[in-house]
Amino acid sequence: MSTEDVARDEDRKKNRYHFDRHTPEYRQQFEAITQEMHATCPIAWSDTYDGHWVAAGNREVFDLARSAEFLSNDHDVDNVKRGYQGISIPKPQRAKGTRGGFLEMDPPEQRHYRQALNPYLSPAAIKRWIPVIDEVTRACLDEKIETGRIDFVDDLANIVPAVLTLAMMGIPVNAWTIYNEPVHAAVYTPPNSPDMERVAEMHMQMGRHLFGQLLEVRANPRPGLIDALVHADINGKNPPDLELIGVLALLIGGGFDTTTALTAHAIEWLSENPAERDRLSRERDTLLDSATEEFLRFYTPAVGDGRTISADCEIAGTQFKEGDRLWLSWAMANRDPAVFPDPDQVDLARTGNRHSSFGLGIHRCIGSNVARTVFKRMLLQVLDRMPDYVCDPEGTVHYETIGVINGMRFLPATFTPGPRLGPGLDETLEKIQQICDEQRLAEPVTSRKAQAKLPD
Amino acid sequence: MKVRVDSERCQGHTLCAMIAPEVFELSDVDGHSTAISEEVPAGQETKAREAISSCPERAISLIS
Repeated sequence: MSTEDVARDEDRKKNRYHFDRHTPEYRQQFEAITQEMHATCPIAWSDTYDGHWVAAGNREVFDLARSAEFLSNDHDVDNVKRGYQGISIPKPQRAKGTRGGFLEMDPPEQRHYRQALNPYLSPAAIKRWIPVIDEVTRACLDEKIETGRIDFVDDLANIVPAVLTLAMMGIPVNAWTIYNEPVHAAVYTPPNSPDMERVAEMHMQMGRHLFGQLLEVRANPRPGLIDALVHADINGKNPPDLELIGVLALLIGGGFDTTTALTAHAIEWLSENPAERDRLSRERDTLLDSATEEFLRFYTPAVGDGRTISADCEIAGTQFKEGDRLWLSWAMANRDPAVFPDPDQVDLARTGNRHSSFGLGIHRCIGSNVARTVFKRMLLQVLDRMPDYVCDPEGTVHYETIGVINGMRFLPATFTPGPRLGPGLDETLEKIQQICDEQRLAEPVTSRKAQAKLPD
Repeated sequence: MKVRVDSERCQGHTLCAMIAPEVFELSDVDGHSTAISEEVPAGQETKAREAISSCPERAISLIS
């Protein structure tokens, strides 16, 4: 660069902020940092992680996220295109050579994948699964209901999303234990932790199982998201297995930890605000939808996404150069006072709640309908069966950092014991598997419209 | 009162139909929204306005 270029570069990066979302301090000072960035630099250049832009303001995040023509999600793992690094900042140490499914692709491939999977994930498709979600939730609560003690993460919010995700994929639901721990542990275990080796080994085991499932479905078709991928026409061809494994891993990663995080945070907040909990339970017909959106806004489970600028451009008053890295902070955009009055307060009846917790633009979370439905069904049963639960702050463990997922590891609680309503989890999962197989529940909504039927 | 959903902008967040199910309907296949009829049914104006102000993609407009 000439001196003149350097000066120009300095000028376009004049709004600077030292932004490191992977530190515990970022979690502890999230509100203060967010307020400061909104007030002084809604788009800032940060020197961290080889240098990248950070969009924190709501309008800025909105304008950027919707500028698909200037943004790329591509993760060029084989370095055959422009060498872009996908959606993680910094680039992940683990699984460096794997593409994160269609979330790390651009159109048209990205669009073709979504078209193949949408009929399994639309609101109409998810509605068919409600009896199954309710039954798995019932069994999880029954395992604990007589004891008066539960860990809402381990005993409920980890299990239901995992079981449902596997059922939708066409993977036997009793395999949820193979998938559950590695998926969560990979998010909350820091790369330098002594536990990382064990987590990596569990991840390998999960990968082998997943690959086995892909081969099985290819050989003997059975309905589900795997089947959709095996037959998908992506830009005129069916992609190689390694790419499909990346897509399946994206569906699992998206389906598990995020809904767990949302549910745990909402349950914790409602324990701290028992009058609001009673009100939500009483007025659920009018409040449950808005409360769900408010918990999504306030606790933003997937905190943001990385992008690469794909062409020189000026957006929201900032000049970007091709190749610049950019962090779109959904979590900070969700706290912008310009859009959300009293942004740091939870208001269960909030109106005009145009939060970006499922992302914005063409990459909107494809599982958003799954997340909402599973969250609501779990929460309703907790409100009905454990209405006086009290979470134990001593035993509660939040993720140490919120660089990727704003999640929770443990949320123990006590409540007045009650009677069981049915069989335990293992027996219930056997029954659910039978229903999935017999009723072909994992078919797309285009070929099967009816809701799941459970035997009386 | 008339509303329109810009199909280019809509990404299937589904909030509009959640808030105003008598005004907006969602595709079974991908959850993208359309106005059931351009003219908002009588009595649904407040809900339609709330749907407009809740759309994450700002895809719904009031056309009269």
